[in-house]
Amino acid sequence: MLKSKTFVKKTRSGGVMKIVREHYLRDDIWCGSEACTICKQESTVLEKDACSDSTICPYPHYLIPDTNVVLHQIDVLEDPVIRNVIILQTVLQEVRHRSAPIYKRLKDIIHEKEKHFYTFTNEHHRDTFIEREPGESANDRNDRAIRTSADWYGQHLKTAGPDGLKVVLLTNDQGNKQKAEESGLLVHRFEEYIKSLIAHPELVDRLALSNDDKNEITSSKVLFPEHLPLSRIQAGIKAGSFLQGTFRASRDNYLEATVFIQGESEDGTEVLIQGLQNLNRAVHQDVVALQLLPRNQWVAPSSVVLQDEGAAKDDNGDEEDEGKVLISTAETARKPTGKVVGIIKRNWRPFCGMLNVSQIKESTRHLFTPADRRIPRIRIETRQASTLAGQRIMVAIDGWPKDSRYPNGHFVRSLGNAGEKDTEQEVLLLEHDVPHQAFSQAVLSYLPKMPWAITPEDMEKREDLRNLTVCSVDPPGCTDIDDALHCRELENGNLEVGVHIADVSHFIRPGNALDREAANRGTTVYLCGKRIDMVPELLSSNLCSLQSTVDRLAFSCIWEMTHEAEILKTRFTKSVINSKASLTYAEAQMRIDDTTKNDSITKNLRGLNKLAKILKRRRIEKGALTLSSLEVRFHMDSETHDPIDLQTKELQETNSMVEEFMLLANISVAQKIYDEFSECALLRKHPAPPPSNYDILMKAAKSKHVDIHTDSAKALADSLDVARVDGFPYFNTLLRILATRCMMQAVYFCSGMDSDFHHYGLASPIYTHFTSPIRRYADIIVHRLLAVAIGADSTYPDLMDKQKQSALCNNLNYRHKMAQYAQRSSVAFHTQLFFKNRGILNEEGFVLFVRKNAIIVLIPKFGLEGTVFFDSKDKTGPKLVFDEEGPTLMVEQHTFHIFDKVKVTISLDDTNIQHQKIRMSLIHPVIPGVSVSASDIEPQTKKPRLDH
Amino acid sequence: MATVQVCEAEKVYILHGIRDDLRVDGRGCEDYRHMEIETDVVSNTDGSAKVTLGHTAVLVGIKAEIGKPRPMVPDEGYLEFFVDCSANATPEFEGRGGEELGMELSTTLYKVFNNKHSVDLKSLCITAAEHCWVLYVDVLLLQCDGNLYDAISIAIKAALFNTKIPRVHISVDEEGGKEIELSDDPYDCMRLDVTNVPCIVTLCKVGHRHVVDATLQEKACSVASLIISVTQKGTITCVRKVGGGSLDPESIFEMTEAGKRVGKALHAPLIKLLQQEESLGKKRQKVGFLG
Repeated sequence: MLKSKTFVKKTRSGGVMKIVREHYLRDDIWCGSEACTICKQESTVLEKDACSDSTICPYPHYLIPDTNVVLHQIDVLEDPVIRNVIILQTVLQEVRHRSAPIYKRLKDIIHEKEKHFYTFTNEHHRDTFIEREPGESANDRNDRAIRTSADWYGQHLKTAGPDGLKVVLLTNDQGNKQKAEESGLLVHRFEEYIKSLIAHPELVDRLALSNDDKNEITSSKVLFPEHLPLSRIQAGIKAGSFLQGTFRASRDNYLEATVFIQGESEDGTEVLIQGLQNLNRAVHQDVVALQLLPRNQWVAPSSVVLQDEGAAKDDNGDEEDEGKVLISTAETARKPTGKVVGIIKRNWRPFCGMLNVSQIKESTRHLFTPADRRIPRIRIETRQASTLAGQRIMVAIDGWPKDSRYPNGHFVRSLGNAGEKDTEQEVLLLEHDVPHQAFSQAVLSYLPKMPWAITPEDMEKREDLRNLTVCSVDPPGCTDIDDALHCRELENGNLEVGVHIADVSHFIRPGNALDREAANRGTTVYLCGKRIDMVPELLSSNLCSLQSTVDRLAFSCIWEMTHEAEILKTRFTKSVINSKASLTYAEAQMRIDDTTKNDSITKNLRGLNKLAKILKRRRIEKGALTLSSLEVRFHMDSETHDPIDLQTKELQETNSMVEEFMLLANISVAQKIYDEFSECALLRKHPAPPPSNYDILMKAAKSKHVDIHTDSAKALADSLDVARVDGFPYFNTLLRILATRCMMQAVYFCSGMDSDFHHYGLASPIYTHFTSPIRRYADIIVHRLLAVAIGADSTYPDLMDKQKQSALCNNLNYRHKMAQYAQRSSVAFHTQLFFKNRGILNEEGFVLFVRKNAIIVLIPKFGLEGTVFFDSKDKTGPKLVFDEEGPTLMVEQHTFHIFDKVKVTISLDDTNIQHQKIRMSLIHPVIPGVSVSASDIEPQTKKPRLDH
Repeated sequence: MATVQVCEAEKVYILHGIRDDLRVDGRGCEDYRHMEIETDVVSNTDGSAKVTLGHTAVLVGIKAEIGKPRPMVPDEGYLEFFVDCSANATPEFEGRGGEELGMELSTTLYKVFNNKHSVDLKSLCITAAEHCWVLYVDVLLLQCDGNLYDAISIAIKAALFNTKIPRVHISVDEEGGKEIELSDDPYDCMRLDVTNVPCIVTLCKVGHRHVVDATLQEKACSVASLIISVTQKGTITCVRKVGGGSLDPESIFEMTEAGKRVGKALHAPLIKLLQQEESLGKKRQKVGFLG
């Protein structure tokens, strides 16, 4: 049967078009129920015995949710308890139209067999298709279609199925429900139904708040200005009166945010937003429209650290002071300031965090504090507050009405008890968007079949370097060895040096599931005591890993050098190697130092070491920077995996030996692939920081009467080298730490999309990553490019497409950044664990930064940074005078400068389990009323024995 | 135009018959042949109608599009005509054979219909001097068996009656930019007032008399015809003479009087029929082209 669907559409050019689609109705669409005796279906989805323990529907039944129920309550629908659901095509189409992510989740549920979700194509069914009536809105028509289908199902099951099998329509729409009741359908509000599942009270918490519920919660007082409708925002942006950008909340101050405007100018501008009203319910990462304030209302970013600590019911509490905080001072420091007028795209995701249990005992409404400080607290409703307290949970935001201080949300799932290592690890992986699920079957199917061996065909195409004395040097416990080295004297007296890199691109072929997964993950993430692999373990720790005494495929970069490390010849080749030894840095160092050893491996190492020193010296002469950041390493207890000691990483000569050759290989490869593919070479650059970045460094150095020149990398390196202060040996390291913070992020880019290739930190005109293909995807691409360049492999279209290449670079840069953050958080968490076990410690440290109301102190011994606050909310703080020029902070009589030596007590503040943090309080200098006396409990004197 | 060969004897026979008010197919001089009308036959137009008159068949489709008003009349929309002489109608139209006739027809139709006395052009205006509806009237000749003008005009009137123009709203933002907004209800549309839309009556001078709705044979016996467009009230809006021969003033007067009479009598049943069809709504059985 043929029907036609007609609708009118506006075309892009402003015209109006009538569109007619043919629409065929069929009589062979089956109901999908196992109980049905009429339909000639081959397989069924809906169970015959569809009982749930609902008290209002004690009979077996199928559920038919309407569109809004699916859109808002997908979290509940995902629960395994909800089964035997009929998803109508009308609903599916509407969901797809309204929200792509929810549509995807719905599709996932439908595909899951255990859920028994059936899609009924009611729009093409002869009996359930309806046409829109005159005067009926599209929504009303869809509601009617849903009711018609529910009715059809009811009748159908009555005649075709066993007695008592019914369908229940779930809707939250009052009008729809009433009409359904009038036509004799079984209908319930979704909340009603979920609440009737008495065996599963936890589901109630996952209900998203519907509109009328919200009204009860919040006062009628309007706290925020209305958001403008999208049409006006678009017109405003077109006219230039509004700006569009990504909202980035400040980590330190919940009343402040910046919006990056992607303007026509390349760099993009940054607009400051201050105050609750101006932030206007924007959440971190939303795309917002904003209006610039008149110039006389511009302010400077405040240096106050402010955390939202309000109590649970402070809806009408302290907004007086929140509204007009911070009238800023210095005219010069003022930045363009604006206010948010509308939201273009929300970027809400489920957030990890913890529950702030309400003080009122019976209350079911609680505030949820996300782990990410940039996310505002979220109000949720739950009856299991007592169970959830102390657990890490995930919460999704449902909406943020203009009369509510906090957004409303609902509980999604629990991750486990706070403070437990697994829970915390899960949290930080989720928060940093690190893909950490197990590899899917599709991905694993592309792994080579075991047992794997090098085939004669492989040998034919590759150079056999198994006779060379190759060895690898890595940190202890490393299983993914991706580089190995060799060095030998040639007959002509020159040296041959080879860097051999695991040939990952041999195993990962472009475009397959394995490749796509690796490209998405971008990098292996190293956390304390855990590694999240980019490629499956079989490759990372076995087939690709250049273990000793086994034959492995490699991609080699071989130079012929003079003894003065002048490169005479460079060549690249795919090869087969057999590593003679895998050493740790310390082992390698010992071999070099031990004069009695004279085996070939040791000679090899000595040769390499000698060359590396020359290379390093030459690099530093060219202006490469030696920067410093304190890296911490934990000694883990072998059984509990708790950290039992912590020390800053020590660097050995051999570290820098390996590094030197890796740099050399990277630079050689970068040059080669750029020469070959000037448009699509994947390179890495490190832009020179803008001069203003160095302000803090210059000011800090000046306070110790040291001059730092920042005109060029070379000048900076030189001035850092000579910067010393008598009687303050740690000064130089501190300066280097500060200098590191001034730097820009190094990024991957596609050579066809950029013109500035310079690597500032390494003082190299061109650079890329070639040496770690097991843990970085960028290296895999570089391998492929190089393989094409030397004719060892074939190319494929995406490799030569600079747009795609550029998109890939963006993902890689994002993943690298996130991996770094995740790593830092992991260290921070383990530091907390460490201090939890240690009790209170007194340590010496240095002031690293001075803020308006706090100083940030670095404890070199632990590589730990902490904040000492001088004001607190509840009591009147000491008199503080902040001088931005210094910058110095005067607390009562004492003035703090950068680099001041202070003594602090360190303890773990777990009074507030929501946010465990390291607390530092001042012991020395003694400031009455501010500093505390040194605690009596001295740290354990006897250190437990270390594992290694 | 399709022509038939008529021999002298036949001509005399036809001529004599008409003189006695009896035509070859039994009609009187002012009678039309059997006529069939169906509207809403092409779903992707905004209005359409199919008319068969004897063996003459025409299809009219109307598409409404947003355009810019003519500068002289900024507050009016307008109509555009295109007549497609399909080679289906007669082999003579093959290639560019029908072009001349098509041009002639469309100019005449433009003259007859595109004026504010026939169609309320002001109602087609959306915003003065900026946006108006332009009605593209496409006429397709499916079969030619004489009297094309009358059949086309009836079909156009029926199609205009059937036309549903989506209702639009103009929203003005603060910068003064105007945005056209469409109602999302497909039933929310504007109808045209067709009360004053004229019908064309073609009178064929055959011998000393004139006939309405001439067949091809009759046409072959005539030297000149008069095209008269008449409104419901009997107002004549346009008169045109076609054909090689000449007409004397007296017979022109007679012919216009007859045209008025016939035209008036044509409108009333036509409108009644259209309204009847409309009132059937969705229950109406569609005939289409194969019925």
